[in-house]
Amino acid sequence: MEYPWWYVPHLTSPMLIAAIAVVHVLVSHYAVGGGLFLAVETRFAYQSNDTAYLDYLRRHARFFILLTVVWGAITGVGIWWTIGLASPTATEVLIRTFVFGWATEYVFFVLEILAAFAFYYYWGRLSEKVHVTIGWIYAAAAWISLVLITGITAFMLNPGGWPDHRSFWVGFLNPQFVPQTIARTGGALLLSSLYVYLHASLVIQDRRLYHLLVMRSARPALWGAVLITVGGIGWFVYLPESARAALESAAVLTVLVVIIFALTAVVFVLLYLGPYRNPGWMSPGFALALCLFGVAAFSTGEFVREAVRKPYVIYNVVLGNQIAPEHVQKLRRRGFLEANPWTKAVIAELPAGQGSPLLDGGRIDERALLERTEKDPDALRVVGQALFQYHCNDCHALERGYSAVGPMIRGRDLDMNFALVKHLEKAHFFMPPWAGTEDEALILARYLTEIAPPRPRGMDPIYLEKQ
Amino acid sequence: MEPIDAGTLPELPAPFWFIQLFKVLGFTLHMVPMHLWYAGMLVALWLYGRGPDPGRRFATRLLAQMPVLMAFGINLGIVPLLFLQVAYCRAFYPATILMAWFWLAIVVLLIPAYYGVYYHSAALASDGAAMTRLRRASGWTAAVLFVVIGFLFANGLSLTTRDEAWHALWAAHNVGGAATGTALNLSDATLWPRWLLMFGLALVTTAAWCVLDAVWLSAGSSDDDRRFARDFALKLSLAGAVWSTVAGAWYVFLAWPAEVFREMFSFPAVLLTLVTAASPWFPSALLFAWRQGDLNRSRAAAIAGTHLGVLALNAISRQIVQNIELRSLFQPGVSYQPVATQWDSLVLFLATFLGGVVVIAWILAQLAKVPAKQ
Ligand code: HEC
Repeated sequence: MEYPWWYVPHLTSPMLIAAIAVVHVLVSHYAVGGGLFLAVETRFAYQSNDTAYLDYLRRHARFFILLTVVWGAITGVGIWWTIGLASPTATEVLIRTFVFGWATEYVFFVLEILAAFAFYYYWGRLSEKVHVTIGWIYAAAAWISLVLITGITAFMLNPGGWPDHRSFWVGFLNPQFVPQTIARTGGALLLSSLYVYLHASLVIQDRRLYHLLVMRSARPALWGAVLITVGGIGWFVYLPESARAALESAAVLTVLVVIIFALTAVVFVLLYLGPYRNPGWMSPGFALALCLFGVAAFSTGEFVREAVRKPYVIYNVVLGNQIAPEHVQKLRRRGFLEANPWTKAVIAELPAGQGSPLLDGGRIDERALLERTEKDPDALRVVGQALFQYHCNDCHALERGYSAVGPMIRGRDLDMNFALVKHLEKAHFFMPPWAGTEDEALILARYLTEIAPPRPRGMDPIYLEKQ
Repeated sequence: MEPIDAGTLPELPAPFWFIQLFKVLGFTLHMVPMHLWYAGMLVALWLYGRGPDPGRRFATRLLAQMPVLMAFGINLGIVPLLFLQVAYCRAFYPATILMAWFWLAIVVLLIPAYYGVYYHSAALASDGAAMTRLRRASGWTAAVLFVVIGFLFANGLSLTTRDEAWHALWAAHNVGGAATGTALNLSDATLWPRWLLMFGLALVTTAAWCVLDAVWLSAGSSDDDRRFARDFALKLSLAGAVWSTVAGAWYVFLAWPAEVFREMFSFPAVLLTLVTAASPWFPSALLFAWRQGDLNRSRAAAIAGTHLGVLALNAISRQIVQNIELRSLFQPGVSYQPVATQWDSLVLFLATFLGGVVVIAWILAQLAKVPAKQ
């Protein structure tokens, strides 16, 4: 309750996090699996004295560096940038809880970068043994960085006993940690094989070599799909109850989960029939289709993973609208607007009107505010909007856009809206509870009733029109 | 805005001195590669285009190193930003949220800049034959983007320490009390000199790198190359020192808030202030003293080491100034923030850090054994 809220029209700022997260994970998993691919295959190519394969691996390493060191690293920084902007309170908690987890992770990032550059730029100039060892250093560092960041993201979905203990290891080794690590390791194996197929199908001319590569990458890809499934089941089992309920009750999420399963099954079957049984089928078109299915499954999975946390950003620790659950009762008594310097500033900026002053020694006179907004439509608009921005905008656009509230309450009257705002968490259990006074709830309800579009005309039954 | 009640913050995970130490250390290390793309890229592109042969060779090497320098520099930059957020989240987040789109633009602009550097450097190996107009343009575009990114950083970090400006910016850039993220800290007297000061220091860093490169990093550099490095570095570092002094004087005498000025000019802080102000001249002094003789390895190491000390001095002074500027925001003061040292994860970090240093040393030792390309 200390930060200004960042208003992103139509989209809502947390959706920016989701967008950047998706483009990031599509590369970051490859940064892990691709490193393993390069280490294992380079060793194999040295052992079998396959210079054509070595040449290809060198080309692949360049592609790998261009994608992971640049795109992967910068979008990773991008996620960090946007969580600070769009979810500052939760980021504050994460940063202060896991600072040394992150610092440890950066040590591995530095190792990764050094190993990746050494592996590629010194190709052919190091002894085979040292070259392969550096490849393995890369792969190990990359996988450990996956484990470290997974501990932190898994924490957000189910921090386990952390709220009681507040200790690093309790938070890090949370119930979601092992399942998500398994799933992400599988994701790294699967996704990197799909990228390898796509890249190889476009650049390798030599049939023998292509055939060899297709066969060798089939097994890790299939294992990846198995690990994703195992980890996915664990993820479901260790979901907090509300998250599981959200999966069942929200139609969108149910559909998305079905889509993920269907896509994963398709990828598995295609992998089995294609690369595993009939490597000859692997045309660039086939490789592209596989890759697209995989990417689609991945992006959907990431979206669902983000969505089921509602109403929390960090489960039981910080609500979506940057409020700590233990503060809700106090806010209900003392007022929502007063608790944040930025919403308080909105009230302070209101032009002086008649009646008693709204701010008195740092406290907001709620009664006066209610009266003022009742008489003055401009004041209602300003105060209502502030309540909406700071209490609802993390999940809803206002009139148009992502999950916009206006269209959802079309034609509802004030009583209904007032009841909804007062009992948000009952209207939908994945909304946070109302964290303000009754007066504030009434102001917001009036404002929403003002801006809601009327009930669509043509569909009104005759008997209603007559009233 | 209102002072922050330290009681509502989560506890600091380590003593404040520890957080500052790593912040300063990380920032010092970050500045080396960052300066090389900030000012060094422009210098190198210019030398590549119209410099003498040895200058062209130096420029070619620096531009070829650029992708690697960027990778490490960006990573090292994360360290001070991480510890800044740990210590001063309540100042850093509001400031960056007010300018959210511009702050996010840093990341967005970095991607074309980075790929631009790669695209440009890919043509260097061919001895200029493959340097098409498009590749040259992508190099210059990247260089300009770095300067723009530097400006955005100067904006965000100066706004972080200027809580008295937040309200006005918010008032002009909000919808229903929520920040639109379109504000910039342009009215801040410290913004311009801060931005320029960094560029001056970056010129000196480029000079120090030039010397280091000639005798340590490039195998088979000729006498010509070394003579060029010696002379060019002297000129460049003098230019950087003059630039830093002018921008620094502007910053200190015309822009510093009264409180900062008073404290930084009272004993003993004044000693640090004076040494920091004089420090950009140290590398020039060495280069001037050695302007005649051969540029050997120990001289180059002394120059580069001295300059690293200059950067560290700057980082330390900046930290102290930041602490003074932010003191007004925190009540009853940062040092009273509740601290619950997370020994378990801190030990994990320190152990990894040491282990990481060992592995890095091993890799570097392997690379050092490799015979040079020529
Ligand atoms: C943590 C996220 C979150 C917050 C904060 C939140 N909501 Fe919701 N809300 C949801 C979700 C998710 C839905 C379901 C949307 C859907 O079904 O498409 C929903 C549904 C709604 C609906 C439709 C309910 C119905 O009865 O059909 C309304 C109206 C609504 N929200 C209003 C609000 C208002 C007003 C606020 C702020 C006081 C708010 N919400 C805050 C997540 C949130």
